[in-house]
Amino acid sequence: MNTISEFLAYPFIQRALMASIMVGMLCPFVGNFVVLRRMSFFSDAISHAAFAGIAAGALLGIDLSLSSLLFAILIAILIAFLSEKTTLSHDTVIGVAFSGAIATGMLIIGMMKGFRGDIFTFLFGDILAITSMDLLLIFLFSLLTITILLVFLKPLLYITFNRDLAQIEGINVRLYEYLFFVIIAVVITVSLKIMGIILVTSLLIVPAASAKNLASNMKSLFILSCTFGVASGVLGLMASIYLNTSSGPTIVLVSIWIFFMTMLKKK
Amino acid sequence: MNAITVEGLCVKANNRHLVENISFSIEEGSIVAIIGPNGAGKTTLIRAVLGLIPYETGSVLMFGKPFKHNNSHARVGYVPQKIEFDRTFPLTVLELLRFTVPPFYSLPFRDRSGEERINSLLKTVGMQDLINRSIGSLSGGELQRVMIAKAIVNDPHILFLDEPASGVDIEGQERFYDLVRRLNKENGLTVILISHDLNIVYRFADNVLCMNRRLICTGKPAEALTDEVIKSVYGEMMGGYIHSCHEHD
Repeated sequence: MNTISEFLAYPFIQRALMASIMVGMLCPFVGNFVVLRRMSFFSDAISHAAFAGIAAGALLGIDLSLSSLLFAILIAILIAFLSEKTTLSHDTVIGVAFSGAIATGMLIIGMMKGFRGDIFTFLFGDILAITSMDLLLIFLFSLLTITILLVFLKPLLYITFNRDLAQIEGINVRLYEYLFFVIIAVVITVSLKIMGIILVTSLLIVPAASAKNLASNMKSLFILSCTFGVASGVLGLMASIYLNTSSGPTIVLVSIWIFFMTMLKKK
Repeated sequence: MNAITVEGLCVKANNRHLVENISFSIEEGSIVAIIGPNGAGKTTLIRAVLGLIPYETGSVLMFGKPFKHNNSHARVGYVPQKIEFDRTFPLTVLELLRFTVPPFYSLPFRDRSGEERINSLLKTVGMQDLINRSIGSLSGGELQRVMIAKAIVNDPHILFLDEPASGVDIEGQERFYDLVRRLNKENGLTVILISHDLNIVYRFADNVLCMNRRLICTGKPAEALTDEVIKSVYGEMMGGYIHSCHEHD
């Protein structure tokens, strides 16, 4: 059996490890807001919007990452707009967008001829197929997103706690809501190649939910969630290499194991 | 000077008036109670005045200027009737109070701004020992005291209290209203208070504004709240209550 150092000598393993560390920090950082605001269903809708974007990109012959990003942002803004402007509940709007995105994606894929492996990479994710360019993009988007979130952390947390009170203090709630929805769309799209459309929201939700089980204040929530996210990514990747299993599901199962451990500790 | 001037305010929802053509003014430094039966539109009125819900017609001026949330000429504090939040939110009392203290764009975990002020306010409301407690673990009374500390941390000109002591024990209510009165006397804070408790209204309010979707009466509690007014607003059962409040007063 190969040792860890032997595995780490392979450039694709090095890239996968770096990607798992970056996404392991980025997703739970944003995921804290998703969990605190009970928006898990929203993030699912966005990942499925990205699926429609990937299908549209494949049909039109444009870059799949770009088309998925555009669709994800478009659907995120549409959900925010409809929730704000209509009397429909947030859940209903998300449900409509979710179904619409899946149907659009499936319709387009059904129209295409032949097997498209690149589409399936996005559907199920493949961390071992990450290129140097992918890694650079993940790094840049992670840096940008975390910087924006850190600068606006106070108003974003205040809105998460109570919208009305934040608004009275002069915080532009509407602007921050849209900003946050766009950030979720970006983070999901950036993580798609690693986790896949089906599993990407688990890396947003599970480490943040685990941290919430243990955290006593906001600082510990952010530190713990990122620690759990990175641990899930690295341990999951290593386990998948040793056990010869798919990386994405293994990473998610490790994060769920951590979640149950924190549940026990909480009790 | 008038702290608040409201002219012809109408709030509608589903083609039904929740607040109908209400006009009033509130003098700076006074404590004004808004009373009325359940569903009278008291909370809707306050939320419309605060710009949290849109109104159909009318105008709201604070210190002579239209109210905007980021205006420094009219800082407001607000303690809602019920604070909707996730009880498992891992947020401490100190972190919650820091939300209100500028600057808004600093790294929150390194932010030490307003710490002295926060400590002194928590001492005022008797909560200094709970500064690092999670807000979800606070009792109703403790949470209300934290919320009033939060509402006044930025030295507001006007404090809006929507049934602030509901769910708080009698002793807690006394402490709460004594604090409000002290802030009013010492800092000249204008206080707008929604309350169902006529006893509290008689003891703490300079003026009362009685409404049931429309404005029914306004004036000093002892003069405005006649037996007829109370009966028409709350029904026959409350008629005798007014006398006991007078006596208590």
